[in-house]
Amino acid sequence: MTTTMARPGQVPRTDRRPAAQQRRRRPAPIGKSFASFILIAIAAFTVFPLIWLVLTSLRPQNTIFTGPIFPTHLTFAAYPEAWVSTGFAVHFLNSLWITAATVAGVVIFASLAGYAFAKLRFPFKNVLYVALLATLMMPATSLIIPLYLQLRAIGLLNNQLGLLILYVSSSAPFSMFLMRAFFETLPDELVQAARVDGATELQVFRRVVLPLARPGMATVIIFQFLQTWNEFLYANTVLQDTGKLPLQPVLFSLMGQYNTDWPTLTAGLTMSIVPVILVYVWMQRQFVAGLTLGAVKN
Amino acid sequence: MHSINGASSLGSAFARTRLDRRTLLKAGAAGFGAAATASLLAACSGGSASSSSGTTTVRVWSWYTEQKDTLPKVIKDFEDKHPHIKVNLRIFGTPDQYLPALTAAVSGGDVPEIFAPHVRAITYGKQGISADLKKELGSDFLKDFFPAENQEYSDGDKQYALGWEAQTFGIFYNPELFAAAGVDGEPETWDDLIDVAQKVNATGKSSVAFSANPGTSALDFFLPLITQVTDDPTYFLKLDQLEKGYKWTNEPVVKALELNDRIVKANVFQKGTTGTSGDQATQLFYTGAAAMLFAGSWIPAGLIQNATPDFVKKYKIMKTPAIKTGARHWTADQAGAGFAVSETSKAKDAALEVLKYLYSPDVYSKLMNDSSSMPATQSAVDRVTSPQIKQMASWLPDGCPHIPFGAGSSASGDPLTKIFDQKASPADVAKQMQTAVVNARG
Amino acid sequence: MSSQTISRGMPRRGSSTSGGSHLWRLQRSERLAGYVFSIPITVLFAVFVGWPIVFAIYLGFTSWSGFGSPTFTGFANYERMWNDPVARQAFITTIVYAIVTTVLQTVIPLFIAVLLNYVWSGLSVVIRTILFIPGIVSFVVSGVLWKLIYDPNLGTLNKALRGLGLDGLATNWLSNPATVLPAIIVVSLWGAIGTNMLIYFAGIQGVDPTYYEAAQIDGASRWQQFRFVTIPGLRVVTAIVVSLNLMNGFKVFDIIFVMTGGGPSHASEVFGTYLYSLAFGSTAGSIPQLGYGSAFSVIVMLLCGVAVAVQVFLTRRAQR
Repeated sequence: MTTTMARPGQVPRTDRRPAAQQRRRRPAPIGKSFASFILIAIAAFTVFPLIWLVLTSLRPQNTIFTGPIFPTHLTFAAYPEAWVSTGFAVHFLNSLWITAATVAGVVIFASLAGYAFAKLRFPFKNVLYVALLATLMMPATSLIIPLYLQLRAIGLLNNQLGLLILYVSSSAPFSMFLMRAFFETLPDELVQAARVDGATELQVFRRVVLPLARPGMATVIIFQFLQTWNEFLYANTVLQDTGKLPLQPVLFSLMGQYNTDWPTLTAGLTMSIVPVILVYVWMQRQFVAGLTLGAVKN
Repeated sequence: MHSINGASSLGSAFARTRLDRRTLLKAGAAGFGAAATASLLAACSGGSASSSSGTTTVRVWSWYTEQKDTLPKVIKDFEDKHPHIKVNLRIFGTPDQYLPALTAAVSGGDVPEIFAPHVRAITYGKQGISADLKKELGSDFLKDFFPAENQEYSDGDKQYALGWEAQTFGIFYNPELFAAAGVDGEPETWDDLIDVAQKVNATGKSSVAFSANPGTSALDFFLPLITQVTDDPTYFLKLDQLEKGYKWTNEPVVKALELNDRIVKANVFQKGTTGTSGDQATQLFYTGAAAMLFAGSWIPAGLIQNATPDFVKKYKIMKTPAIKTGARHWTADQAGAGFAVSETSKAKDAALEVLKYLYSPDVYSKLMNDSSSMPATQSAVDRVTSPQIKQMASWLPDGCPHIPFGAGSSASGDPLTKIFDQKASPADVAKQMQTAVVNARG
Repeated sequence: MSSQTISRGMPRRGSSTSGGSHLWRLQRSERLAGYVFSIPITVLFAVFVGWPIVFAIYLGFTSWSGFGSPTFTGFANYERMWNDPVARQAFITTIVYAIVTTVLQTVIPLFIAVLLNYVWSGLSVVIRTILFIPGIVSFVVSGVLWKLIYDPNLGTLNKALRGLGLDGLATNWLSNPATVLPAIIVVSLWGAIGTNMLIYFAGIQGVDPTYYEAAQIDGASRWQQFRFVTIPGLRVVTAIVVSLNLMNGFKVFDIIFVMTGGGPSHASEVFGTYLYSLAFGSTAGSIPQLGYGSAFSVIVMLLCGVAVAVQVFLTRRAQR
């Protein structure tokens, strides 16, 4: 039994095919090629600076600006240099654990709260919602000093846990809005039906609603991973011992005021991009590709 | 700690099974209030202790990336000799990456033991953040430093930082491009330089690559002109502190602005100086797009890293032009890189130990040579091995100030860029400088 | 307190025959869940976001160098801002930047997300991955990359233009006040296409296919399906994308700071960069001006409040 989506009085056809295939039948061949052409052009524009990034990491340093566009002389020397001189492994692991923990924390809190704001009714809901919106409204640079003082008061300065809490606190609201938006597309009847069937609110959330929120969660995971992985300003200010720093501040310190070691920097950046691409590809396959709301039928 | 009270009232709120509105709001308010109180109190409290089980930790913060590879070794040698002192070295990439961290640390009352003061040496000293090193290290220690380095960090008879690297400015040039333009020898005065520029421009190249971005870089070029006009290096020091009778609208300043204006009008610089960053200007030079580069003694190390070996062999350096034949070639020479010591840190004595070691003649001289930097002490300058650094260091006796240490002085950089953009007259710019500086003083 | 006391067969909520106490218990458990679910995020928010924001707003009424305690100065900072020519210019630039980037970054990714639904799915996945890649690097990195591309002498853009014989177009992209803002906007768009498109794409996927079926049954063409099913279904998502882009536009800092530092001569100065240079910048000179800088962040916050109001308005409309 599907929850009613068609207009009242409409009798659903019994011989319809699965939704995914339904969608694919719609495009006409001519539209396809034209669309593909445009998309490929845009993709080329998009990817070209990054190709340049990788190429730069393969050049000997003094040909960066004087050599031709495509280097005649390729060298991988920058990679071991980046690995060793920045202590890449340590900072990579720092980034990895801080980012993973942040993503986990954000997904949990944002889903819970997003669902609450979307489907549950409770007093002061709107006040809280608007207050949480305030998170998005301040430029990060203006909050550095207050946050520094706050962490200091709680004794979590120069502590990766402190940075983690900071990240979760300031990112969860944004992810919460995303999750709320996705939850709102789910029909209310779904929740009510489950309640009637005797489920607790938590069970309703976990068993019924959450599985349907996969596209939302995938989006949140990707966004949050990206944002945290690339964050620089707070990490740079809040963590003092270099051993505790995540990857980005360390890589950026390669950008000197007058001299920048371009090959090493771009090599380090290229290496730091790899995990993010992996997460993205994984998310694609798990949740976004081929998803349908046909799950509703279950 | 006060925050514990806040946490426990929240905790008891959770423990109750009945969660109602009132409890929630109370808990939230308590949390808010506790956190706020704790933070305000923390903002006023002093520094934190940095010792544990016998070892003292000394933090050293700077952005002196030129010693990124060489300083850690020196630090390690120090730690081996002083097992009860641990040094945390942190080299940021640029001042913009460094300053938020420093500002936050200062506002939290936890100033790093040794830190690069940037232009805040004197203001921090007056506020009791940086220690008076004349008192801590003695006048004998300071004797070896060049007068300019000591002066720039001094207020009265107190000195709040030590020069770490001196620098002088000059004009780097490409002899091949000179030859191609039919230029003979090196220009001695600004008029000579203007002539050279006409010849070079005729060959399609830019003459002097220069970065007027940000505005304070433009001050590196302009402020020495004030000394050239007055022949008095202390003039700017007084103007910098806005002492009685010294205003940016005074005649010497306006004259210097007019000279600057004349140089810009003659197309001596490349187009778009206010949009060119420091490393872009350097790139123009070593890629052969410009025949000359006005910059400081950090350049030779950078050229070794970025330019082709051929180029490194062929470029030359000449003195900053003088205002007229026979006049002194006053050149900007204050140390951009220095070290200050935290007055409030409990590890201050250990920090002074570290400094003394870093400046001990053999250690210091070797470090400076290994990183192709210009030392700030006479004895180390005598032992410089790089010929370019040697040449540029020989100009130190003609050094003059170029860094706006005074409160609000750096605000003069903005109006100055209008001269480079040819958007305002010298007299107007002088007035704007005065207004901007006074405004920024707050 | 849980709803397990409700037996099966009870009429659904909303039916007029439900008993009063049962309804009350249902609502109570719902309320409880609502609070419990949103407590973690709220507490973290209060301590690490709420209080700092309050403090930053307070700082806007003070003068503070970061050391010692702030001195209360009332509205002095705002007066100064009113009379500060740089602040005025930055205000206009901030608004222009925010609006232009929002329009571009809302329309173009939507267009792309729709196109993606119309191509072979294999190509769609590849394109999606590629388009997403710029979003993977932080704005600091893309700022640096593009700065090199825009370099007037050594950058690939001008080299390409000269190679194509279009020398006249090869200008000083980042040092020419006329071109600096568009140049930066292009970079922002480059970075935002992928992420905004992803939101739209998930949103399009999230539109229930039965709506399309119903429309098809009614004989709607593809274009009509798009207009009457897809677009309305995307209203909420669009509202979010619009308000997020607006807010990011008002708050922008990284990308402009890295590429031009606000120059040339403040041509690309926005509130984000100006406040940074007042508080921390190398050009702030010897005294950080945290109070004056905070006043700017308050204005940005007010602007973002407008963006939020826009989102709420659009969302209300979308919910019919």
